[in-house]
Amino acid sequence: MDEVINVIELKDVVKDYGDFKLDKISFAVPEGSVCGFIGQNGAGKTTTINLILDVIKKDAGEVLLFGQPVDGKSASLREDVGVVFDEMGFHDFMTGKDINIMMKNIYKNWDEEVFFDYLKRFSLPSKKPCGKFSRGMRMKLQIAVALSHHAKMLIMDEPTSGLDPIVRNEMINIFREFVVEEDHTILLSSHITGDLEKIADEVVFIDGGRIVLSGNKDEILEKHGILKCKKDELSKISESLIVSFEESSFGAEVLVNDRHAAAKLYPDMLIEPALLEQIMIFYVNKKR
Amino acid sequence: MKGLIIKDIMCLKKQLRTFSFVLLGVFVLALMYVLSARFGNIAKAGADMLLDNDITAVDVKNIGSFVLLIFMIIPLSAVLDMTVIFNADGEAGFNRISSSIPLSIPKRLLARFLTIYALFGIGIVVDTVLAIMISSLTDMMTFGELMGTVVFFASILSIYGALVVFFNILLGYGKDQYCQVFAILVTVLAVVLLNLKKLIVVWKVAVLEKEIELNVWGWLDYIKTKAWVVLIAAVLVSAVSYGLSLYIAERKRGVI
Repeated sequence: MDEVINVIELKDVVKDYGDFKLDKISFAVPEGSVCGFIGQNGAGKTTTINLILDVIKKDAGEVLLFGQPVDGKSASLREDVGVVFDEMGFHDFMTGKDINIMMKNIYKNWDEEVFFDYLKRFSLPSKKPCGKFSRGMRMKLQIAVALSHHAKMLIMDEPTSGLDPIVRNEMINIFREFVVEEDHTILLSSHITGDLEKIADEVVFIDGGRIVLSGNKDEILEKHGILKCKKDELSKISESLIVSFEESSFGAEVLVNDRHAAAKLYPDMLIEPALLEQIMIFYVNKKR
Repeated sequence: MKGLIIKDIMCLKKQLRTFSFVLLGVFVLALMYVLSARFGNIAKAGADMLLDNDITAVDVKNIGSFVLLIFMIIPLSAVLDMTVIFNADGEAGFNRISSSIPLSIPKRLLARFLTIYALFGIGIVVDTVLAIMISSLTDMMTFGELMGTVVFFASILSIYGALVVFFNILLGYGKDQYCQVFAILVTVLAVVLLNLKKLIVVWKVAVLEKEIELNVWGWLDYIKTKAWVVLIAAVLVSAVSYGLSLYIAERKRGVI
């Protein structure tokens, strides 16, 4: 069996801001996978990404990128990383041509032919200042930049938030194309779980600065389920199976962590597969 | 690194466009001035004052030199607009992008300093052409003296530039006005402290003896001939500013 290579690895990483703390988070992103990094706003996704990119300093633990420690001297590792942020970051006056001139003098592997091909494909005018672009166009411009230096990994922080479903779908198709290459990896942070359900292989779920759940997406979806029952039936359900529950005037909905076991134990109750969004909501509710 | 310098220059595109017209104006005015000082009304006024014994020949030459200094300093002043770059980066959120590119913090910081020197480079080229033109048309100042003043002013302004970079990294985005004020204050304070003795003498002469002229011409000679002293100071300040800025940037991460 081939050994799994992790392109990103975090081990017991701590970052304390006083009012917010990333508390000993550990997870790994295997090479060739799409890892969905989910969590509500303020859960710690951007802080974690900033730690991986070495934008901020960790207080404790270890962050490895392509097997190398990220410790303030790892700038060259970013040659193989394409980054897409939730906001564009380029100056409003800059045109595609300006960005090309700048980037070809920054990245060793910058490929202007690929860049202009992407601009064409995304219908982005190369002479128009990007400040006049719509949000969707700005995100596409960032993606064009991220894909034009032959990066092996894309790290994206909420790239699809605020975009309409058609543009989101278009972007997901681009990400799919990127991971066709076996050694290409994506870490995609988002609170729009529907997008991740379409594309992710792995899922890391963070809440309140702690990793709540991580692993193979299909396994997570396969294991979890929504059990629907009457309120008075709640007490019959084994506590070890319950992640959390929600009561309404119609009854109760319970997220169970082993839906097949639950189906055997409670054949009279209705158990449906859970969506990532439901799993996220129930886990967040559990903490509250 | 070159990419970041290009980006910085792009940020100043508008200012540099306006500046090129200013430089054209400087050339025209300087030419008109030196021609007039040699053949026209200024030469005639100087000659009349000499005949009437109102001023000496040295005074005429020195007054002319002062006007020339103003022409020489303008091409170097593009650096005063450098806070535009910090502002533009802050407004666009470019700092996150610069943190994600494969350039270390020392290189990103160095790029900022090199942008300042690139602006001086433009100014020095323009000033050299200006100095050749002036020195070939008038004997008010030699080419060497003119270039001495260029080095003097470039050094003073590079001290200012290095301090602005330092304060910007220390205080962060949106504090550009404080950065400029602090940089000017520190530069002025340093000049005052280094010349305290001379200034006290000047003050005593000015207040007690009401005779300041000789000291003013002394400053002019200093500017023309002792520029290397300020140049050394500029190199030292830039090195210290780079070191301190790097220390702060490494601690903060991602502020450049």
